Amino acid sequence: MFEAISNNPYRNLRAPRVGLRRLRPALPALIFLFVFMVVPLSSLLLLSVTKPETGLGNYISLLGDATYARVLLNTFIIAALVTLVTLVIAYPVAWLLAILPSRVSQIFFAIILLSMWTNLLARTYGWMVLLQRTGVINRALMGVGLIDQPLPLINNLAGVTIGMTYIMLPYVILPLHATISGIDPAIMQAAAITGAKPRQIFWHVMLPLSLPGIGAGCMMVFVMALGYYVTPALLGGTSNMMLAEMIAQQVQSLLNWGLGSAAAFILLAVTLVFYAIYVRAIGLGRVR
Amino acid sequence: MSAQAPLVNIRNLVKHFGSVAAVDDVSLQVGEGEFLTFLGSSGSGKTTTLFIVAGFEDPTAGDVEIDGRSVLSVKPNERNIGMVFQRYTLFPHMTVAQNVGFPLMVRRRSKAEIDKAVKEMLDLVQLGAYAGRKPSELSGGQQQRVALARALVYKPRILLMDEPLAALDKRLREDIQQEIRRIHRELGVTILYVTHDQEEALRMSDRIAVFSHGKIAQIGSGADLYERPADAFVAGFIGNSNFLQGSVVQSQQDQVAVRLDDGTVIRGNTRHPLAANARVRLMIRPERLALAPSNDQVDQSLDVTLSDTTYLGDMLQHEVVTAWQQRITVRTNDRAAASSAGNALKLHFASTDVMVFEDGNRATA
Amino acid sequence: MLLNLNRMGPGRYVLYGIGVLTALFLLLPVAFIAALSFGSSQWLQFPPPGWTLKWYAAIFNDPRWVESIWTSVKVAFTVMVLSIALGLPAAFALVRGKFPGRTLLHAFFISPMIVPVIILAIALYVFVLKFGLNGTFIAFVAAHLIVALPFSVICIVNSLEGFDESTEKAAIVCGATKAEAIFRVTLPAIRLGIFSAALFSFLASWDEVVLGIFMASPTLQTLPVRMWTTLRQDLTPVIASVSTLLIALTIVIMIITAFLRRRYAR
Ligand SMILES: Nc1ncnc2c1ncn2[C@@H]1O[C@H](COP(=O)(O)OP(=O)(O)OP(=O)(O)O)[C@@H](O)[C@H]1O
Ligand SMILES: [Mg+2]
Repeated sequence: MFEAISNNPYRNLRAPRVGLRRLRPALPALIFLFVFMVVPLSSLLLLSVTKPETGLGNYISLLGDATYARVLLNTFIIAALVTLVTLVIAYPVAWLLAILPSRVSQIFFAIILLSMWTNLLARTYGWMVLLQRTGVINRALMGVGLIDQPLPLINNLAGVTIGMTYIMLPYVILPLHATISGIDPAIMQAAAITGAKPRQIFWHVMLPLSLPGIGAGCMMVFVMALGYYVTPALLGGTSNMMLAEMIAQQVQSLLNWGLGSAAAFILLAVTLVFYAIYVRAIGLGRVR
Repeated sequence: MSAQAPLVNIRNLVKHFGSVAAVDDVSLQVGEGEFLTFLGSSGSGKTTTLFIVAGFEDPTAGDVEIDGRSVLSVKPNERNIGMVFQRYTLFPHMTVAQNVGFPLMVRRRSKAEIDKAVKEMLDLVQLGAYAGRKPSELSGGQQQRVALARALVYKPRILLMDEPLAALDKRLREDIQQEIRRIHRELGVTILYVTHDQEEALRMSDRIAVFSHGKIAQIGSGADLYERPADAFVAGFIGNSNFLQGSVVQSQQDQVAVRLDDGTVIRGNTRHPLAANARVRLMIRPERLALAPSNDQVDQSLDVTLSDTTYLGDMLQHEVVTAWQQRITVRTNDRAAASSAGNALKLHFASTDVMVFEDGNRATA
Repeated sequence: MLLNLNRMGPGRYVLYGIGVLTALFLLLPVAFIAALSFGSSQWLQFPPPGWTLKWYAAIFNDPRWVESIWTSVKVAFTVMVLSIALGLPAAFALVRGKFPGRTLLHAFFISPMIVPVIILAIALYVFVLKFGLNGTFIAFVAAHLIVALPFSVICIVNSLEGFDESTEKAAIVCGATKAEAIFRVTLPAIRLGIFSAALFSFLASWDEVVLGIFMASPTLQTLPVRMWTTLRQDLTPVIASVSTLLIALTIVIMIITAFLRRRYAR
């Protein structure tokens, strides 16, 4: 019926209006983002090469100074560790969710959503209380006699890893679940009937076929973890400070704007590089 | 094949899914080197039977023996059976060669041995030039040929094929049918083949098992099924057929006389003795009917009116209507019999071509 | 085999085990805070020596908590409205526009999701300080709007892409003006997308911590900022009761969205 409409008398209705006229509705949003994002970011970039003096001094001291370089290294190590731990937990969970009867998996998804949508500070507060020296976890472990002394679980690497893994898990479980559910069971049956043992089917067929989900999930977690601020600040210790915390500290407490913004741009550059790899790997169409 | 022990022996197989009996007491034997086809409409239990043989489903009751030994406790990967599925099941992340080599790779064969076998197999299915391609770069027919190569590369004695050609168009299907037959002859592998295309079944198989509602309605060669169908269902399922209703006047061994609804008495054959006055269905193949002008005298005939003639190239197909308005299809290459619609004609046929069945509930046309 | 629970063999118990442990892990802090918030111990003893509602009373007796909640509501609500007001036309342009660089524009609109929040935060911090806007309502709204806008654009673009534009044209052919067609045909058709856009925009603002920390002044704080500053000092049980209220809100929102999705899904 609408095909007929596109015919003669109303043809002009269908003709694409070329040119920027159709861009006009996007202008308010465009201007807003320009003023409140592009301009501030650009002036930050400017700050990083002008304060305290003009030049690349800030970048040089960031990459040259051992303390700062350590923070950078720490950031990568923690992000990689969190990504790895998250993946190792998320894969079997996503697998289980793909094969459970949907009534059971629905409950699991509700739990995932609940944890994902609960206020970040509320969740982090929960871990702060749980992990502290006199916290429930330490008391329970001592109660069953596994340990004599409370374990240091907070303000160190363990605390950050637990807290961040908790936050990142849904971001890996969900894409992985989609990928694993998409695998045709007949392909796995085909592998079985040709003589492959379950272990061989897993390594040669199932895991390669879940790689897109693994890649998407891990990249997302890694990039998010690189720039994470709140959880490392509350659960981490001073000896394994991450980049975001250092940036905040330099800008807010030490008023060292130049150095802070230089660090921010290193973080931004790293993020964008990984993001570009991610986009190239899975295609822009699927990012949204 | 009755002389030697069967390679596959399926005994009283039953499979329930909840309250549905997908397979309902199926028994059959498959001889070494035989090409046996499961033919039946959708949902009749063909795939389920095949999957039980493969080991993907456990039967509710019954047994599957291969070489005289029950295989129910043997895992699919240890049964040494080949299988080609209806859907494309090539491993999308592997090349054609890696796909075909996969069964040998998991058997830890040496690389040289794998390469040699893969090449042999790809030549067998005429895809030697495609070794380096990914499955996504192949047509549907090529993918199924690779799947066939993958299923044969480890030299299984039994090959299961579940509607492997269902997704292909007619021309391609016929090409690959020939290829499968050639491979069957060359390798002597035993094939259990599933289809719901009767032409395909007739063309390829040594024997056909006709499935209906989880049971085997009849098993036999194509000629058996066509010439001597066990019941009206098989008669209707294999080939084209005309059915008429009537009741038995007299029955003597395999000879039976049936009175049609208008009073005409027709003689035919039956496989089972029939009681007098039993309601029966008569079946006559369209090509076993002949048409003649109505004043001709023939031994067994029916008065009809021509309603339509279709030109089929090698044949003519006539639609005729009986006095009680039943349509009957006639196929003939007798161009002389051509006549114009509305003419009165006599339909004549030999009593040996009339098959008489009890009017069971399962009968469909 | 590996994708069929019944035929997987003993391996499935390993999966069950990991699944149950992960579910407990995900529930642990949420359930724990909720239990703690009713406990009478100032020192967060667990299991609590007694049960009380005093930490809830403490929120509502402390004007700073009440004010921060009120600020959060006002900011989030304003952000929600502006996010739709900016995001809806932008989505129309993105879906229907045929101009060059459309994909690029799309990427630009969702870029605030990619840039680490801490960078946006300090950039805006320096920016608002320069204009003396720090600690103002406007600063909060602008900052939160940046991170809310991508949600709005994504939700509306998705639902608009699922809407056949010829339906709108049919309305125009029937005699409607362009505006009437949009308001009476197109917008009602994509209302679920707009609703999600509003919901996510509200939540993005409501839960935003980092931007808030840098926009806040001692006199104007959102709820997360107030929680943050309190948390940095001590682990008072009041935070547990605030958190529990937030968890309850999450559950309410989950139920509403599940209900709406079931109603409008088909
Ligand atoms: N996993 C299952 N769960 C429940 N019912 C099933 C299952 N598999 C098959 N069935 C049912 O068992 C019956 C037989 O199915 P089967 O797949 O064997 O039929 P088929 O002859 O292969 O049909 P088709 O030609 O459509 O492939 C059908 O009624 C089907 O719905
Ligand atoms: Mg089937």
